[in-house]
Amino acid sequence: MDWLEDELRRALAREDPPDGFAERVLARSRRAPSSPRRWLAAAAMVVVAAGAAGAWREHRGNQAKQELLLAVRLASVPMHHVQSQIRGISQ
Amino acid sequence: MKSLLILACAAALPLMAAPQQFQLNLDAVAAKASSHVDVSLSASTLQFAAKFLDGSDPDEAKVKKLVAGIDGIYVRHFEFKSEKGWSPADLEPVRAQLRGPEWSKIVGVSSSEDGENVDVWLRTSGNKTVGVAIIATEPKEVTVVNIAGTIDLETLSELGGHFGVPKVNPPEKQK
Repeated sequence: MDWLEDELRRALAREDPPDGFAERVLARSRRAPSSPRRWLAAAAMVVVAAGAAGAWREHRGNQAKQELLLAVRLASVPMHHVQSQIRGISQ
Repeated sequence: MKSLLILACAAALPLMAAPQQFQLNLDAVAAKASSHVDVSLSASTLQFAAKFLDGSDPDEAKVKKLVAGIDGIYVRHFEFKSEKGWSPADLEPVRAQLRGPEWSKIVGVSSSEDGENVDVWLRTSGNKTVGVAIIATEPKEVTVVNIAGTIDLETLSELGGHFGVPKVNPPEKQK
């Protein structure tokens, strides 16, 4: 059984951590809080929301423009007809 | 006193929201039409729409200038499948309102050639023109327009000649 005891002793032997291990752990723990990721996610959401609002405004604006052009077109054609008739008579 | 003020504001709200100068009660025409266009643009919508007009396009630049003094545009346009699909009596509710003292008819044009009739009224307040009403009829079309505010009629009629629609020539030239 000597070989087994030797194996166990070797496997469970106390070992010192490599140099700088404690510093590395502390450094990582300082970086660990996920707040930067949260800020990034929030910023991305703000950008997406602003983009969507801009696109919606553009869509509504173009829709309103088309309605305006249609209204002016429908109002201007009879007025042009009147002007043409009057010019025709005066000529 | 406070409730009276709220009541007065509530009563004034529809008037502020709709500066339309006469009722476009055209149910009789709408009932017979095969299709219709209904455009109601308030001052705020007009100003918003004007921001999207392309200033480098000559026609759109004219429209932009035209709408600067306008408080609202209200248009009802109806099309019919058959000729005389509507009757003059259907337009009487609108014409009756335009006989009021605030309106004066400035021109009426009838064309026996194409059956197109156009009547134009101006609404004045003091010496200022504050509105325009147009009733244009053709055998298969009826258009009623109210433009509230000050408008340059010359520019409006110019736009009708080349604003994405075929130019209407004087009858002498139509051969």
